[in-house]
Amino acid sequence: MNDIRVDECACDGVGNAYRPWPARITSIQDLTEKEKLFELRLIDPEVREAFKFHAGQFAEISIFGVGEAPISISSAPSKQGFIELCVRNTGDVTGALHKKQCGDIVGLRGPLGRGFPFEQMKGNDILLVAGGLGIAPLKSLINHIHDERHEFGKVTIMYGAKNPGEVLFRHQFDMWKHREDFDLMLTVDESDDTWDGPVGVVTKLFDQVDVDPDCTYGAICGPPVMYKYVIEEMRKKNMDVDKIYMSFERRMKCGIGKCGHCGVGHQYACIDGPVFSYWEAMNLQEAI
Amino acid sequence: MFFRVVDKERLPDLIAGLSSDHEVIGPIEKDGRFVFAPISDPSQIRLDYDTTLLPPKKWLMPPEETMMHFNCADEEVTDDTVVASPRVLFGLHPCDINSLLLLDNVFLQGHVDPYYKARRDNTLIVGMSCTPSPTCFCNVWDTDEVHWGFDIFLTDLGDRYYASLRTVKGAEVLDRHVDSRAVTEKDTADFQQVVHEFKQGFSNNVDTAQLPVLLDAKFDSPVWDDFGSECLSCGACSMVCPTCYCFDVKDRLEVDQKSGARVRTWDSCQFKEFAAVAHGQNFREDRSSRLKYRYYHKYWGYLSKFERVLCVGCGRCTLACPSGISPVKVIEALQAGGSR
Repeated sequence: MNDIRVDECACDGVGNAYRPWPARITSIQDLTEKEKLFELRLIDPEVREAFKFHAGQFAEISIFGVGEAPISISSAPSKQGFIELCVRNTGDVTGALHKKQCGDIVGLRGPLGRGFPFEQMKGNDILLVAGGLGIAPLKSLINHIHDERHEFGKVTIMYGAKNPGEVLFRHQFDMWKHREDFDLMLTVDESDDTWDGPVGVVTKLFDQVDVDPDCTYGAICGPPVMYKYVIEEMRKKNMDVDKIYMSFERRMKCGIGKCGHCGVGHQYACIDGPVFSYWEAMNLQEAI
Repeated sequence: MFFRVVDKERLPDLIAGLSSDHEVIGPIEKDGRFVFAPISDPSQIRLDYDTTLLPPKKWLMPPEETMMHFNCADEEVTDDTVVASPRVLFGLHPCDINSLLLLDNVFLQGHVDPYYKARRDNTLIVGMSCTPSPTCFCNVWDTDEVHWGFDIFLTDLGDRYYASLRTVKGAEVLDRHVDSRAVTEKDTADFQQVVHEFKQGFSNNVDTAQLPVLLDAKFDSPVWDDFGSECLSCGACSMVCPTCYCFDVKDRLEVDQKSGARVRTWDSCQFKEFAAVAHGQNFREDRSSRLKYRYYHKYWGYLSKFERVLCVGCGRCTLACPSGISPVKVIEALQAGGSR
């Protein structure tokens, strides 16, 4: 009998897309009580070399025996050889990951999905709006814009968190406050004595910005409830529906458009997204 | 395509011949219904079956399969292979062969699914003509005919089969295992007559006009709440569906807690946790939204990608649903402007 084994079957030269690759944790930063920033390095040089990503894409992190979880990549594509993932301790896999130490090995699969249209955004002003953990995928875009800052016009970042303790990347953002090439606006819903910035929801910040709708791209990521209100503000500024981009969180399990869990409207978040334009999102039932 | 004619009494020769170097899976009777199961004796096979309880997808993507073995200590995959033995799916009706073509789109395009591909590549398909049953509606999707996706297709002409040979392998096994003869004009005329009668046999002539438009335009229709209130979210429709391919992935540890296996199992968008994400958000919490999503994906989501609906009208879901919900009823309700 002619048995066929998976490792012998020709799969367009890409191998088994479900197979995670070992990656070493090279750094762990505590960001808040719930979130840590993990820096990973794929061990196999060929796999590492092949891991070329765009801002907005995600990876599946594997803790064998526990499972896989989709995590958006926070580092810039321009930072090669390492991948940063900002992970909230919220489920089985992320909980197990939070217990890992520097030097430990985890499984990694990716990059997956469709990211922000970085090349298309070049030459324009950029308005980024993040809520809570939504800063994680936008951080990749922010870092990439930072690395190629001369390619962009005005860059405005609005970031809202529940309270000062939940502001992610606070140290870096504090350092950026006085930079002239980034207009950084942080706000919290509830203030405390460590906070001297604005208080209120992120949409309040729109009063303070001028937007040139002819040359501004928007990028949004946050909790599901946030999108509608941010889009409303962007539309009030006359921004085009096809220049507003947003990243959706769905249950990406296989990450390659097979398992069906991340269905959003008639699309799959894992291969058609997770980044969609507002025009696309308007056409996705139950997306916003 | 070219054709041969096989006398009915010679068919066991083909099954026996195939059995010598293949596992032959065909329809057999089980408790008054039919199932696809391994055939040990050609006389077991029931080519007069109406439909099977489970569709043939089971033999290409098993209800449960191991994707890889792993070692927890170094997070290393130790084995991600599957062994697919040569197999024949014998007696598949056109709807079921068409269903495999729809699964091929998902599993063989983009990132290739190596487990599905290994089995698909090692599976020979022998199709068989059928008689429309009261729950069949393949006619509305044109899946009552099949022109590729099989190796041999046998059309029952009463005392003989009109064999369509689609692949070299199909032609080769027919030639090797069974006496056949060239097709005459009378054979083809009889074939046409059989097809004509077959086409007259359908009782469900559902109006599918502009279905994708209706699904969007009537997304908030009370139709969905009506059906949703009857749906039990049992997922039976997905399990028996030849085109539902969703799966869940789980890790299972060995007793030593050091190694284990990553396993995938059939899943259903009708189950409550299907679209839930980590911190409590569930994008389809209520039953009607899940029922709606299933139809929306079948008749619009999949269509938007592959230009076909993800349904072959086999009627298995109609037979399996404890609440009597069927695609025919749902589509009719949408066409009727919300009144049932």
